[in-house]
Amino acid sequence: MPFRLEKRQEPSRFMVYATPVAAVLLTMIVGAIIFTLIGYNGIGAVREIFLTPLTNSYKWQDLGVKAAPLIIIGVGLSIAYRANVWNIGAEGQYVMGGLAGTWVALATYNMTGPWILPAMILAGVLGGALYAAIPAFFKVRFNVNEILTSLMLTYASVQLIYYLIRLPWKDPMGMGFPQTRLFAEAARLPTIIPGTIVHLGVPIAILVAVLAWFIMSRSVFGYQMKVVGAAPHAARYGGFSENKTIWLAMLVSGALAGLAGVLEVAGPFQRMVPGFPTNYGFTAIIVAFLGRLNPLGVIFAGIVMAITFVGGEVAQTTIGLPNAATGIFQAMVLFFLLAGDILVRYRIRRVQAAVGTA
Amino acid sequence: MPHRLELIGITKRFPGVLANDNVSFSVRPGEIHALLGENGAGKSTLVKMIYGIMQPDSGEIRWDGQPVQIANPKAARKLGIGMVFQHFSLFEALTVLENIALGMDSKIPSRELESRIRDVMSTYGLLLDPHRTVATLSVGERQRIEIVRALLLDPKLLIMDEPTSVLTPQEVEQLFEVLRKLAAQGCSILYISHKLHEIKALCDTATILRGGKLVDTCDPKAETSRSMAEKMIGAGLKDIVRAPGRSLGQPKLVISRLSTTKTGHFEVPVDNVSFTVRTGEIFGIAGVAGNGQNALLDALSGEIRSDDKDAITIDGYPLGLLDTTGRRKRGLCAVPEERNGHAAVADFSLSDNSILTARDRLGMVMLGLINSGAAKTYTGKVIADFAVKALGPASTAGSLSGGNLQKYIMGREILQKPSVLVVSQPTWGVDAGAAAAIHQALVDLASAGSAIVVISQDLDELRALCDTMAVINMGRLSPARPVGEVSVEEIGLLMGGVHGSTEAHDAVPA
Repeated sequence: MPFRLEKRQEPSRFMVYATPVAAVLLTMIVGAIIFTLIGYNGIGAVREIFLTPLTNSYKWQDLGVKAAPLIIIGVGLSIAYRANVWNIGAEGQYVMGGLAGTWVALATYNMTGPWILPAMILAGVLGGALYAAIPAFFKVRFNVNEILTSLMLTYASVQLIYYLIRLPWKDPMGMGFPQTRLFAEAARLPTIIPGTIVHLGVPIAILVAVLAWFIMSRSVFGYQMKVVGAAPHAARYGGFSENKTIWLAMLVSGALAGLAGVLEVAGPFQRMVPGFPTNYGFTAIIVAFLGRLNPLGVIFAGIVMAITFVGGEVAQTTIGLPNAATGIFQAMVLFFLLAGDILVRYRIRRVQAAVGTA
Repeated sequence: MPHRLELIGITKRFPGVLANDNVSFSVRPGEIHALLGENGAGKSTLVKMIYGIMQPDSGEIRWDGQPVQIANPKAARKLGIGMVFQHFSLFEALTVLENIALGMDSKIPSRELESRIRDVMSTYGLLLDPHRTVATLSVGERQRIEIVRALLLDPKLLIMDEPTSVLTPQEVEQLFEVLRKLAAQGCSILYISHKLHEIKALCDTATILRGGKLVDTCDPKAETSRSMAEKMIGAGLKDIVRAPGRSLGQPKLVISRLSTTKTGHFEVPVDNVSFTVRTGEIFGIAGVAGNGQNALLDALSGEIRSDDKDAITIDGYPLGLLDTTGRRKRGLCAVPEERNGHAAVADFSLSDNSILTARDRLGMVMLGLINSGAAKTYTGKVIADFAVKALGPASTAGSLSGGNLQKYIMGREILQKPSVLVVSQPTWGVDAGAAAAIHQALVDLASAGSAIVVISQDLDELRALCDTMAVINMGRLSPARPVGEVSVEEIGLLMGGVHGSTEAHDAVPA
């Protein structure tokens, strides 16, 4: 092989933060070329997906609503990934959070009171955390890879939605549609800006991110996550148990995914429907990495990913781009980001044809 | 006859550091030439350029009188330069023969390779069975594999990087025999070390580097160890100062029947170890690497917890069941052998590394939040008191040289004033000046009433530092004896234990 990767002495600080920006720019350029080649208006597609959501002020509320769950889940994942705990099943924990909230909403359907919404949120957080406890238990007890278990549990959670809304939780007035009844007023998340769809989840997302940033940078908990991820042996020497860290990382990321789930079902959906799993849990993986596993960075990364969701919908109607295009653009961002990270840490060196090679 | 190797005005610059500044020296055929210097003096950089791992910024390398460009290690080997690194690159699960075959530049049928290996071994008296699995070999035997690997290429210059740091005194003597035989046949040897009596015993010439510059080229036999050390550190050498009239007090740390279970595949566990360290006492544990030292340190620090609360006691208080944090709160601090990734986190700042072990003893945590100001102040004190060469508390641990990082780590633990300190290899890879400072700090800590356990493979260090000594072999500890009453030969035999006595029988004389 004529080329070789060679570790850099010290990766440049600037490049570490410039890579996410470069990844997004590269995605726009390469995306335009690819979609032109397969017969679409490539430049138009990039404009609609990346710029229209920003220039059209009517789309801003959509951005906020889509970014909120991405940020909340992304913050949780950024904490777990710092500790090298690879929770890939945030989508499942998001679903379980939504289901737990739905359960409270349906059980209190004929009641009213300001305690219902907090009870739903609490149930959602617990639901997500408990669902994440399953891979944590298997990892700690039997050393089962958490990537596998958390991912597979996602598919189980989706089947659970289908079962619940077709049988026990089916809307009695729903004319056979597989969905729950619309939540009562007390179980719906209030909008905070009248006349828009911006609900309470949006400020909660910002609050969660800022709080997480503070905890990660100032507390012993944050230190523990970082030291276990950076040097597990040193962490043990410093008195941090690896198993406890796996539990904490899984429970925190699961709880936040559950929080996003319950806010989503009580906000935009206001009922449980088959279309509730919207891949926020998977997209949030990209968000966490794009935000450099820093909760404040996650806010910006969440907005960027929300732009592609909103822009993807715009492009569907204006230039007939297929729905899958959004996924392609999001995947390209992650691809270029990871490739860029390699180049920040390593340089490509041409290997000279050595003398006397056999 | 031209010089085998000649360096003329070699200069190498890294961002912010001049690693080699106009260095010139030469090595004759058959000469054993020492390269001597403190950590960070530029020895490794210089050797890396000779072996083709790096290129000089300016200056010339001449080989047998001809100017050469050594583009990579393969080109170096082609010229006839062999190198034995300090850290071996061997696969533990493979045999000696397989390991050597993997490292060859060209493919040789294994039958032919084996006969060549046996030739080399019989010529130089390197006893080794080519079919043994590396995992079953002692460190000295593993080093022989690396030497055989280098000798198979018929080198005209052999570079040895700190070769004796892991050997028993008997193994060192055997190694010297091999090197002298090689030199007698015309092979030049570049010998990197900071053990001055070895250089006096072995080498014809010594080139001393300090701060990247060549200080002196001298005849080590005409110098004293002290005069060479002083040239190396550029100042007078301090002896360890012990407080007069020191006496050992009551038993402080008592270990009774401490054992660990075997964890890793090739990790030696601790087997029923008991000893007592008194107030003010420095207790040395000698032994060849890989005889359970790591498990012993982990079992004392609390990384491995005991099932028996009384296996470890301080002033009668049982610590056996506590983890590292619990033991630190009770006054037991520990420094493991591996600096990067165990005693310190390379990517973290020094300040954050102080939080790793000092957070509870020095009140750096309030209500779960870290007081980073306190960590920074304490780190600054460690840097100042232990003369750590670092830009400040915000420098990352990974940016420090090995010796400086060791000074920081030792300072971080010693300034916590632990009542018991357990250290493994306190001066491993550390230069003479820094080692003296670390030794003095340990002696001072003991004088102030702490009990200290030093686990080391460096016998000179243990004999200079300790009051009492024991030897660990295959996880078992020999009875402790006062340092003055035990000879180097006896310790060497205890260290060799199983390894030393059986290898002669197992090895196949070719």
